[in-house]
Amino acid sequence: MAYTSQDLLTVLVAAVLTAGIYAAMSYGLSIIYGVMKIINLSNAGVMMLGAFTTFELFRRAHMDPFLASLIVFVFYFSLGLVMYRLLVRRVVTSPPISSLLLLFGVWLVIQNIAILIWGNQDESILSKYTFATVSVLGLPVSVTRLVVFFVSIVALGLVYFFLTHTYTGMAIRATAQNRDAARLVGIDVEKSFMIAFALGTALAAFAGSLLSTIYSFNPDFGRVFQLKSFSIIVLGGLESLPGVAIGAIILSFIESLSIFVMRASMQNFLAFTILVVALVVLPNGVAGLWQRGRG
Amino acid sequence: MRKYWPFMLLFAMVVLPLFLGLAPNLDLGFFSYYYFLNLGFITFVFVAQAVAWNILGGYGGQISFGYSAFFGLGAYTTAVLWGMYHWPMVLTFPVAGLVGVIFAIIIGLPTFRLTGPYFSIATLGIGEAMRVLMLNINSLGGASGMNLPTTIPGKMWFYYAGLILVSGTLAVSAWVRQSKFGLALFALNMDQNAAASLGVNVALYKNLAHMLGAFIVGMSGGLYATYFQYIHPDQVFGFQASISLVLMPVIGGVGTLWGPVLGGTIYYFLEDTLLSSLPSLHLLVYGVLLVLIIVLEPNGLLGMAARVQRWWRARQKEHTVAFPDAGKGALP
Repeated sequence: MAYTSQDLLTVLVAAVLTAGIYAAMSYGLSIIYGVMKIINLSNAGVMMLGAFTTFELFRRAHMDPFLASLIVFVFYFSLGLVMYRLLVRRVVTSPPISSLLLLFGVWLVIQNIAILIWGNQDESILSKYTFATVSVLGLPVSVTRLVVFFVSIVALGLVYFFLTHTYTGMAIRATAQNRDAARLVGIDVEKSFMIAFALGTALAAFAGSLLSTIYSFNPDFGRVFQLKSFSIIVLGGLESLPGVAIGAIILSFIESLSIFVMRASMQNFLAFTILVVALVVLPNGVAGLWQRGRG
Repeated sequence: MRKYWPFMLLFAMVVLPLFLGLAPNLDLGFFSYYYFLNLGFITFVFVAQAVAWNILGGYGGQISFGYSAFFGLGAYTTAVLWGMYHWPMVLTFPVAGLVGVIFAIIIGLPTFRLTGPYFSIATLGIGEAMRVLMLNINSLGGASGMNLPTTIPGKMWFYYAGLILVSGTLAVSAWVRQSKFGLALFALNMDQNAAASLGVNVALYKNLAHMLGAFIVGMSGGLYATYFQYIHPDQVFGFQASISLVLMPVIGGVGTLWGPVLGGTIYYFLEDTLLSSLPSLHLLVYGVLLVLIIVLEPNGLLGMAARVQRWWRARQKEHTVAFPDAGKGALP
């Protein structure tokens, strides 16, 4: 089969657009890990719930899916607060095994509830944007993907602004750096944990909501994307936004280019392979390479 | 007396089928001969896996969500060697275990060097990645799975094979607990940096424990494949297989010798009797169970039993202190 440079360009544009949403979906995981040092396995479940909530808002209330994603953000922020108060609070200081298993359990519960409500079949959101295209660099680009890209970037920017320019955000970052030192200077560490967890949860649901406008989804929808998120944050060195962005770009480019050489159904295997390769070659992520170069 | 009960249990497990075999067609409803052999075999395989998982996951505190990869690789190794190359069946099991070990090294070497949760993260994808890979390898059946030869020994053979596997695994686990190797695992579980600074080669011991677990789970995968004579990527590499491996030790008591045995037995019993009638609530039940165990009693059923025992002893003591003359003939 022969590919033209036009094909290549199309794939590259698609890769850039995908990288935006990948970064948004991984940043929540990265925030929670950075601040609390726990792996939020319930992320996958929340992502899926975000998608289905958008679906319901779209189907029953005929709401614009992008407007719905804002409601999803707020709603899952509150859910994150509740989850933290009820469950996560108890395992923050326990050995990692507890938080891993607890949140794994939460994920299983969320997934099963979704199966009970929505069944096991695939759903999708067909809005007025779904089949619309615009021309970028002379290439037809789906409007949905374009909007999702910009919304993701704006959301990431806002979260980043919150973390760097507000008191609460800076308290969260201080907690991430050293929780004992943060406590010493009077930061309410418990509150930082709570907000960080809720923020991470909300970002996951928000990303799920945006993903639902592009892909079809079922109750197992979060798993694949969770694995991709892990690859991304490991590539990015687990804790920083620039790292996450770089990781997202790398994963999305490799995935997009891989369709020239392998079956699309093998993409999940690819995300995992990248994860393992990244662990071997770049244990501190791409950002670590940068630091190694400077140090 | 107390010390010998594992051997008495083993003796009972050896003798029971012989005893039931005297009247193989006697149907006691729940407890017929063939049902017992089948239940026994599957429980043994599950328990052996749980005990194997517990060596790294319980003693060493390194949670793996990816043991289904070893299970599936073992199953496929046996399927290929026995089904395609006509090896003697029994010889394929150790090879199945070794394939698991090789894969364990591939996963363990990069991830165990690092502190932090990298290992658990990587294992989350292992099973899924292998499943996707196997679904796409058409020479190994791909998405239609693989049929194995049907010339297998009887159920009795499998029962005893399972029993040997599980007893061997328990013996290994018991040995690890009291060895220097086990001590190193316990130490790195408590504080990895402290253990490393005292000269424990953390990465080495984690890898060894991982390889040991992989070997046992790989063998059990081979045994499982021959028993059911058919394997499919969704089944042997499925998420379900990995979840059950985590759940069994957690239910019984992570990091104890007998916890996984108790958990595995209960788990399979739950799976077989209760949940087969409620397939849509599988994950919910498991998830709620996990959450409750972690929040209420992280040491599982054995932890709960210990707590009850302590409470009971304290109560007894309270009684003797409060009523020093109790039972000394207060009544005429």
